[in-house]
Amino acid sequence: MNVLILGANGQLGPHVIKALENDGHTLRLTDINDPPDTPHEYFKLDAGDLDGVIAAAEGMDTIINLSVLRPHRQIAFDVNARGTYNAMAAAVHHGIKRVINTGPHFTIAGPTYENNDHLIGPDVPTQSGTLLYAITKSLGQEVCRIFTENHDIHVLTLLFYNFWFPDDHSADGHDVTPFSVTWQDSAEAFRPALSIDLEELPSKCETFFIFADMPHQKFTNEKAKRILGWQPTNTLAHRWTKM
Amino acid sequence: MNILITSASKRLARHLAAELDAEHDVRLTDREDAPGAQSFTLCDLNHDEATNDLVRGIDVVVHYGELDSSLSVSGQLDDAMRCTYNLLWAASEEKIPRLIYLNSLSVMGRHDESYAVTERWKPAPTTETSDLGYHLGEFVCREFARENKIDVISLRLGELVWDHGEASSSALYPEDAVQAVQKALIADVSDGYAGSSSNWNVFHIQSAVPNARFLTAAAEQGLGYQPSPR
Repeated sequence: MNVLILGANGQLGPHVIKALENDGHTLRLTDINDPPDTPHEYFKLDAGDLDGVIAAAEGMDTIINLSVLRPHRQIAFDVNARGTYNAMAAAVHHGIKRVINTGPHFTIAGPTYENNDHLIGPDVPTQSGTLLYAITKSLGQEVCRIFTENHDIHVLTLLFYNFWFPDDHSADGHDVTPFSVTWQDSAEAFRPALSIDLEELPSKCETFFIFADMPHQKFTNEKAKRILGWQPTNTLAHRWTKM
Repeated sequence: MNILITSASKRLARHLAAELDAEHDVRLTDREDAPGAQSFTLCDLNHDEATNDLVRGIDVVVHYGELDSSLSVSGQLDDAMRCTYNLLWAASEEKIPRLIYLNSLSVMGRHDESYAVTERWKPAPTTETSDLGYHLGEFVCREFARENKIDVISLRLGELVWDHGEASSSALYPEDAVQAVQKALIADVSDGYAGSSSNWNVFHIQSAVPNARFLTAAAEQGLGYQPSPR
């Protein structure tokens, strides 16, 4: 499969590339940063550049959108909201049927959920709140939803929050954000997202919470395991177990 | 009442300003110069002090979501999302009590015309930039209202009929649009049109044309909107 990865040179990108490159996919990477040392085709590209994203998507079967920018007001909208629109417009332009979008969990489950509820799943109505990072990513997700309602296209959105390396013991025994996962397990979620038969999905726009099996029960990752067959291998128990 | 109306270059914004001016202190703003606009302030609606200055002392901001089709798609979406966000952010910081978002009934346009579509129905915009822009602007407004940062009334307006033009089934004559905004300026919607307390209220506004496509009962009940008989 020919896969375009937008924002491939961020924090998550290298882990995703490592997970996918052994599956025989042909990867085309883009990022606003200078190219890393990579054997894959690489375009230096701003995700907010509509024409550039459309050009980069030519000949692709799937678009993975990892692009993200958090703190800067203008660029956050350019990348997180308009960048996602650009990915969807590029998919429609080239007849690409599958887009894998990403973001933080509060793209959907903002403070009005997290401050009040438990067992929060990915199919609740969107309540991002007004935090810049959350609302810009949430706008992008809303754009995805509307495109799937209007075009022959499927979007799988993988939502993450805290990432850890398995051998990081810097804060063991002090609990951890109940939406945490290792980089490696997070990257593994992209493999079934790429391979799942689109007709097996419940709808054309599906969202999955990607985090480790944790006992907090603040959120639930059940849907990702049930539909994608994704199984996290690291529970991060050393973080939420007393020393 | 001090009222700020955005999109000063648009005909509806000018018309509202002219009609509201007798009873209110009305100012207009736009991101580009709008020759002839009354009490006009040029403002980029960026995240800066100029946007705070723009809204300071205002009682109600009337934010018109119609986009400038002469801009690129990216420019229009930037207007719809970022500029709306910046405006609401500044309005919240300056403790402006209410913002009226002028949306379009086109965001409900994909629902079957035979259905009795009300505010309870899920918006169904197309991916045309104008539709999408209206909808995403409303999306931003809703989150500010949800966090109780400001009271937002979204008026989804029918298709405006100017100069005796042809009226569609979702037609909205300017005098009815003005009346809806006048009502929304002063309406007590603290209990919400559906009877529950809310900073977020949506109303469908169109004229009473034959075979009217959208029901306006919620606006009639919640705002006291009474479209002129046609």
